[in-house]
Amino acid sequence: MSSMASGILTKVISGLRCPRFTAAALSCSGQAYSTAALPKAVVTPNDITVDSDKLLNVPLSQPDFFRVSELFSLKDLFDARVHLGHKKGCRHRLMEPYLFGSRLEVDVIDLEQTVEHLQLALNFTAHVAFRGGLILFVSRRRQFGHLVERTARECGEYAHTRYWQGGLLTNATIQYGPGVRLPDLVVFLSTLNNVFQPHTAIRDAAKMNIPTVGVVDTNCNPSLITYPVPANDDTPAAMELYCRLFKMTINRAKDKRKQLELLRGLGPAASK
Amino acid sequence: MAAVYKVACRLGSGNVKCIFPRQSFYTHRKLYTSDSSVPPGGQGETEPQQPSAEKPKSGFAVAYELHTDLQQKQESTSSSRVGSTRDETSFASLLRHSPLVQMGPAKDKVVVGKIFHIVQDDLYVDFGGKFHCVCKRPSADGDKYQRGTRVRIRLDDLEMTSRFLGANTDTTLLEADGFLLGLVDTKAKA
Repeated sequence: MSSMASGILTKVISGLRCPRFTAAALSCSGQAYSTAALPKAVVTPNDITVDSDKLLNVPLSQPDFFRVSELFSLKDLFDARVHLGHKKGCRHRLMEPYLFGSRLEVDVIDLEQTVEHLQLALNFTAHVAFRGGLILFVSRRRQFGHLVERTARECGEYAHTRYWQGGLLTNATIQYGPGVRLPDLVVFLSTLNNVFQPHTAIRDAAKMNIPTVGVVDTNCNPSLITYPVPANDDTPAAMELYCRLFKMTINRAKDKRKQLELLRGLGPAASK
Repeated sequence: MAAVYKVACRLGSGNVKCIFPRQSFYTHRKLYTSDSSVPPGGQGETEPQQPSAEKPKSGFAVAYELHTDLQQKQESTSSSRVGSTRDETSFASLLRHSPLVQMGPAKDKVVVGKIFHIVQDDLYVDFGGKFHCVCKRPSADGDKYQRGTRVRIRLDDLEMTSRFLGANTDTTLLEADGFLLGLVDTKAKA
């Protein structure tokens, strides 16, 4: 337990990008994600304000700036068996609007709705990654634990696929010391802890005002999740597809950020 | 029965939904091309007769008309942009023609699956459904069952679920149920 906690601690502390006192102030005030201070500091503090604001507003100019709708198609989702749901008896009442129907007791998720929801979710993830946000992948499915951890490592973000201690988000300052940076986005690749309980992190993230993106299957509760994606979370093909999509969006957003920074970096230098 | 009727209704409504975007697409096209001199759709056929009466169109205009006609023909036959009743890429159509739906009830259906994981004597077989199926390694030809081997399974259930007393929802085992028939072998089939 303690080794796990220390492992998580090193992960979180190594993700510190802003000075400790600002982070402490933010976490004490209850707001987990930084909006005032820029996490990735551009060269000198003097020319941060105007240039960084312009840089941050660049992706807001178009609805699909990162072109996430090009990353997947309905056919890709269908081939990865994203539309298959659980049996009718396992259905959660709040998932009924997302279902296409039920055939021979098996629920079928409406992929047209899934496409829209997935685009929204990926777009939001890209914007968070562009702004240097900390993304935490959570999944308690043991079958896909390694896949999720590998995905997080490959896009330079974080993952938590082990036992969720009660106070990880809500009691972070005491469990990990003051000045801990909490995630700015939590991505759930499976919202359930086991087949009976939803994951504690959904409730905790909602308590800490952290937006969540989650793949909700027909037996999950989509209420507290900010960007639910009604989709299958039990088939390896589907999980690999989501991991690949999230990894591609995050890498794309980060590359775009580096590219824009380089361009802006050349701008003021040339004028001087 | 009720479930099939519900799906049939949804499929029917899905088809109706698909027709409307096509009409709106053509009206949009009309709005777009009203600025230029080329009218869309069926009027394009009568168009060549008019300029001969009014004024013969020169090089670029003729090429533009030809191009838009070709584009319209291409778009009316291509199935990617506009949803039609026979559109392969609409979800309802994909679902209806998918092998899982065409198969019908899973009880006593023979499917071909692939072993993707082995734990000593347990073979985890993926046959294209939501869940995999776990079967015991048979005593005959035991060594031939390795990762990647294709096997024949007789399905019982796509997902093993049951409602226990006092529960709100079914408890699911997250596995399919099936009986291993044997290897997929051309010699065995013949």
